[in-house]
Amino acid sequence: MKKDMVKLGITLALFASVACACLAVVYAFTKENIEMQAEKQFNASMQELFPQANAFDKIQDLASSDPNIKFETAYEVKNGTIPLGLAIKAAGPSYGGTATLLVAVDLHRSIAGVEVMELKDTPGLGMNASNPSYYVDKAKKTTFVGQFAGKFLTDPFEVKKDVVAITAATITSRSLTKIIKAAGDAAIAYMDQKMAAPPADSNASQQQNSQPQGIQPKAGGK
Amino acid sequence: MKKLYKVFRQGLIFENPLLMLMIGLCSAIAVTTSVSNGIGMGLAMTFVLLFSEVIISLFRKLIPSAIRIPIFIIVIAAFTTMVDLVMKAYFPDLSKSMGVFIPLIVVNCIIMGRVEAFASKQNLVSVIADSLGMGLGYTWVLIGLAAVRELLGNGTLAGIQIMPSSYQPILFFILPPGGFFVFSLFIAFNIWLKKKMEASQRTKELAAKKEAA
Repeated sequence: MKKDMVKLGITLALFASVACACLAVVYAFTKENIEMQAEKQFNASMQELFPQANAFDKIQDLASSDPNIKFETAYEVKNGTIPLGLAIKAAGPSYGGTATLLVAVDLHRSIAGVEVMELKDTPGLGMNASNPSYYVDKAKKTTFVGQFAGKFLTDPFEVKKDVVAITAATITSRSLTKIIKAAGDAAIAYMDQKMAAPPADSNASQQQNSQPQGIQPKAGGK
Repeated sequence: MKKLYKVFRQGLIFENPLLMLMIGLCSAIAVTTSVSNGIGMGLAMTFVLLFSEVIISLFRKLIPSAIRIPIFIIVIAAFTTMVDLVMKAYFPDLSKSMGVFIPLIVVNCIIMGRVEAFASKQNLVSVIADSLGMGLGYTWVLIGLAAVRELLGNGTLAGIQIMPSSYQPILFFILPPGGFFVFSLFIAFNIWLKKKMEASQRTKELAAKKEAA
């Protein structure tokens, strides 16, 4: 009996180690590609949100106001050394489980854009949040997340008031809106704290500079 | 050869894993919301089934029956993980849309059932015929289910718009209840087909007997 047990154990261990070795080989072969795909997807989303961006600085200690919503990673997006805004990968509860969104906030304190990274939901209903051909505004062809682009964080962010819901998926619409708002608020708080003074100033001065320049020729013409 | 064909054919209609044996239904209903998902899942499943059955058939004399189940699970899990990794690396969109159902192939009863009932007792050649038959039987049902559900529930086939834009998609078919509904129609169709084939076989046999007499 005892001898049997040892023999069985060894057989099982042998099978397991061979399987392990095979898996290790496949893993080694596919690892690079999987990482590349994830990076490709991330870069594509970033490009979509900040077309001029070419540098991303990872930032830490971004606090979320909602305990259910977590920020996985956050980046200060720059073009060379000029800051463009913040991009936050935020995950929060939604109808079908955790939803992960990439929320971009620009220096004007408005949402630059939102990309759905991961979403599990009912196909044809909540899943429309990540469907590029589902429009909440058919005339303007804006998608559900597309409607947030250019939205200021001082807005109420309330579904069915200033946010158009996905038909028959109000819970998903509300949850996603909540995640976007939380990420946006955190980004504003970060900007106020860390990068407020110089970039906001330079941005403002740039605007001030450009405005007079725009006006001057006109005035000169008169 | 004829025997092999018979084994192969079993999985398609007479012993179709989904429509006759009625195993592995959960993931079948869940992934068949679009044709591309159906094809992907069917191929992934066939791959895992084929290789698990082949390995277990090759080593069947070395597997002590007391610990056969854990060994089956190790083999199946290894192949499933390989499929999962390869899909993540080369077909990221497909892997994303099927989500958790690829890793869940490990616990799919079709594979467990075929390995236990067939592969652990048969030689290599008939095991290949059986796994291809079962895999194909699974795949055609998935593609059929997905085609009906996607066409009626979303107006598209494999992502291409088929229905005119005035067509209001019937969401019911994309949702799980619609899945069960279409699935039951497939079962009915399969039983009808089986009866018809059996009847034609019987008349053939009778005719042959008469000729012999």
